[in-house]
Amino acid sequence: MSSEIDTTVPWYKKLTGDDYRRVATGTAGGAVLAVMTGPEGSIAEPLYALRASLLTAHVIGYLIFGIAIGCLLTYRAKIRDGVWKRRRATPRIPMAEKMAATSGPARSIALGGSGVVAVVAALLIADFSGPYVSHKASLHVIAHQFLYTRTYGYLVLALAIWFTGANQVFHVTNVRLRSLPKWSILVGALVGSLLFGLTADPFLRPRFSWHAIEPSYRDSMFHHWPTYLWVVLALLLALSYLRKRNSAAPMSATPRRRALVVTPSMRVLTYLGAGFIAYEAPKYLSSYWQISLYQQIGIFCLLAVGLNVVVGFAGLLDLGYVAFYALGAYTTAYFSGALPLQPPFHLNPFVVIPAAVVVAMLAGVLLGLPTLRLRGDYLAIVTLGFGEIVYVLANDWTAVTGGSPGTLSLPTFSVNLLGLHYSWNPADPLSYYYLMLGVIVPVIVLFDFLNNSKVGRSWAAIREDEVAAQSLGINALKYKVMAFAIGASTAGVAGVFTAAKVGVLFPATFVLQLSITILVLVIFGGMGSILGVLVGAVFLQWLPSYLTFHSYLGYQESDLLLYIGALLVIMMIFRPQGLVPSKRRRREFIDAELGLGSADALGAITQEQPS
Amino acid sequence: MFNYILQGTFTGLIFSLVALGYTLVYGVLRLINFAHSEVLMTGGFAGYFYLHYAMSNQTVVQSVWLSLFFIVTGVIVSGIAGTLVAIAIERFAYRPLRRRNAPKLAYLISAIGASYFLLNLFGKEFGRYPEATTQPFSNHVVVTLWGGQFTMFDFVILVAALLLMVILDFIVSRTKMGRSIRAVAMDAETASLMGVNVNRTIASTFALGGFMGGAAGFFVAINQGISYDMGFKPALLAFTAAVLGGIGNVRGAMIGGVVLGIVMFAPIYWLQQPWMEEVIAFSVLVLILLFRPTGLLGERLGRSA
Repeated sequence: MSSEIDTTVPWYKKLTGDDYRRVATGTAGGAVLAVMTGPEGSIAEPLYALRASLLTAHVIGYLIFGIAIGCLLTYRAKIRDGVWKRRRATPRIPMAEKMAATSGPARSIALGGSGVVAVVAALLIADFSGPYVSHKASLHVIAHQFLYTRTYGYLVLALAIWFTGANQVFHVTNVRLRSLPKWSILVGALVGSLLFGLTADPFLRPRFSWHAIEPSYRDSMFHHWPTYLWVVLALLLALSYLRKRNSAAPMSATPRRRALVVTPSMRVLTYLGAGFIAYEAPKYLSSYWQISLYQQIGIFCLLAVGLNVVVGFAGLLDLGYVAFYALGAYTTAYFSGALPLQPPFHLNPFVVIPAAVVVAMLAGVLLGLPTLRLRGDYLAIVTLGFGEIVYVLANDWTAVTGGSPGTLSLPTFSVNLLGLHYSWNPADPLSYYYLMLGVIVPVIVLFDFLNNSKVGRSWAAIREDEVAAQSLGINALKYKVMAFAIGASTAGVAGVFTAAKVGVLFPATFVLQLSITILVLVIFGGMGSILGVLVGAVFLQWLPSYLTFHSYLGYQESDLLLYIGALLVIMMIFRPQGLVPSKRRRREFIDAELGLGSADALGAITQEQPS
Repeated sequence: MFNYILQGTFTGLIFSLVALGYTLVYGVLRLINFAHSEVLMTGGFAGYFYLHYAMSNQTVVQSVWLSLFFIVTGVIVSGIAGTLVAIAIERFAYRPLRRRNAPKLAYLISAIGASYFLLNLFGKEFGRYPEATTQPFSNHVVVTLWGGQFTMFDFVILVAALLLMVILDFIVSRTKMGRSIRAVAMDAETASLMGVNVNRTIASTFALGGFMGGAAGFFVAINQGISYDMGFKPALLAFTAAVLGGIGNVRGAMIGGVVLGIVMFAPIYWLQQPWMEEVIAFSVLVLILLFRPTGLLGERLGRSA
């Protein structure tokens, strides 16, 4: 390859349009990132945000980041195509040999110098990714934020980078890292990540010492999720490292990826472990996270699992999903007598659950029957309209729903039966969480059974080829309406749970944005896979809560949909099947791209019928 | 009563302009472009900024010619902004998927994503509160007819919308670009064999629809002011209009908008509840889908399931 490289032409004359396009895309991407993450502007001074942020490290940092990625990709492509000469044509001389060849003082200068460079780089990263600092801010403020706790986390990162370099020191001193037992890598990763997690922990005060940690902080530290996240990440890295080592061994003739054999006992143990964690872990969370666990994560898991039946199983696009959620919530409010429209009798939220299921299901069937006969994309727009109608009714039909001021003082769940009296206390989110667990687990089991039954197979057949499915005697309309109604009733149940916990209802909750958010949970995790949807819901609902909690990260709550929109496009381009896809769904997406069948029940777009 | 019909007609003309964008893209790609609402929004913002800066030194326009100049240039500026955004949407949210022959669900979702991205980017950069646009003309009542009032705005939108639609109809039915659009709508594969550049044709379809959407955004901005979510409702109603007229049918979209506007506003005369508009509009949509899914004029190029 290297023999064909024409060295008479200077390297920059070999740049082609593609390379300029790469760098330009990188720059544009950096600019978009900078604009996306900046502060909010105002129409009155339209370019304020851009003007103010132009002068800060923020924008420059992102631009450099984008340009660097563009340049890097260009370099890689040029090397790959054999247009540019590799910078090191000769085999690389190990650092150790260079070190051994240098004198003692020179060696320490080199090591010290590289350490300083690493630390400075880390400080710069910490500053670029730090909170937004206006150019108008005084130097004092900038310095304060610069020295904010997080910087320490990045310092540790710098040390880690440096110690990777210090690997070479081991070579020099003849203590080879590779001769150490393998578990030492795991231990090292664990210790390192714990250190990093702890120092990056915003609970810690700027001065890092154990005495400075107040008892309450010490408690929360180990219940602090990022620490665990870093540990898990480090363990995964270490494991993949070890695995690579193994595959590089002489036994590499065997297939590199051996299928994981799941024995029945392993499966039982997994479920037991999951159950144990689901039961025990929430007890150790702070109350912010307990509330978030119920209101942000639990309810949205239920909603996402329900929407998954519509989008994932049946392949229909429902954009008015939140309307059924609202129906459930307003049914609860109606039967508690909190709405202007009085019910014939008052009901406890427990008893409302079946009523909400019936109401939401009826609405689903009434809406689905006319529209599901038609081309699938009409369903999307009709459900969108339906969601909007429900919102307008909740907001403006004051005589029935109370209108935009909302509804207050809804009752909570309570049991009053056969001498047993218990009332759920809104101040104790955990009691609701366990109740939710008691609903969501059966729902998941039920949906899983449904998906593996005749119904699920019919859904798959309709998704993949509706005409063929119908010719085999499957009543497509029936199964599509069924999926639609099941999804709707799940949302109705979620509505009851929200109303009973929060105690107030505002129409502004039930806007289209929420439908889109739920749709993203389903798509991000992997439509059609219950596990995937749960992973997506937990992660995507946890992340905004986390970012809101740590407000210094510079996240603005109103930006959520900005990122979600970008995520949707990126997912559809690069991984339409989601993070944890179901096997069948993934194959459908691949098949559809090859022109075999379809991956949704929306009707084909490539196949034309003679008209 | 007549007043409501007039109001419906002129609002309906705006729907028609937006519906053209839906119907053109649908004709070519068989897809509902969910991101079209953001084309309208961008057009509105472009119009706002143009008028804001161009008319910065005058509060009331004195000369008729000057306000005519501002209207014409404003429509062009907004239209170009809409065109650019529509092309960007096609380039980033549609083309990568088309290259891979992705299923329909993927297009719908990626268009929704693009729409939300743009919507919130504008909300973030320019604030989330509505703002009134500088008026390029004084909006007084010109003629009162049978209890209905024609305002200056009504005349402007009537003339502008009709003019734009005539131009679009000419482009689609007479020019080379229009012929290739129609060819791709009829059969993309055969068209590409005949030497039509399908990608460029699709982009020009988006551009044409984008210009109409952007221009509609200009009028919405003058009439109601701008906000980052200004595109949502008109676009949803415009889609209804496109279905009403027969989606994929250019002339159907023009008529569908006006019919929807009248059907939407006239019942308010009896109901006296302005918020019922949307409820009526979507009930109309469901009813059309139930009884005449091909719309008033029929789907020229579509197929019924």
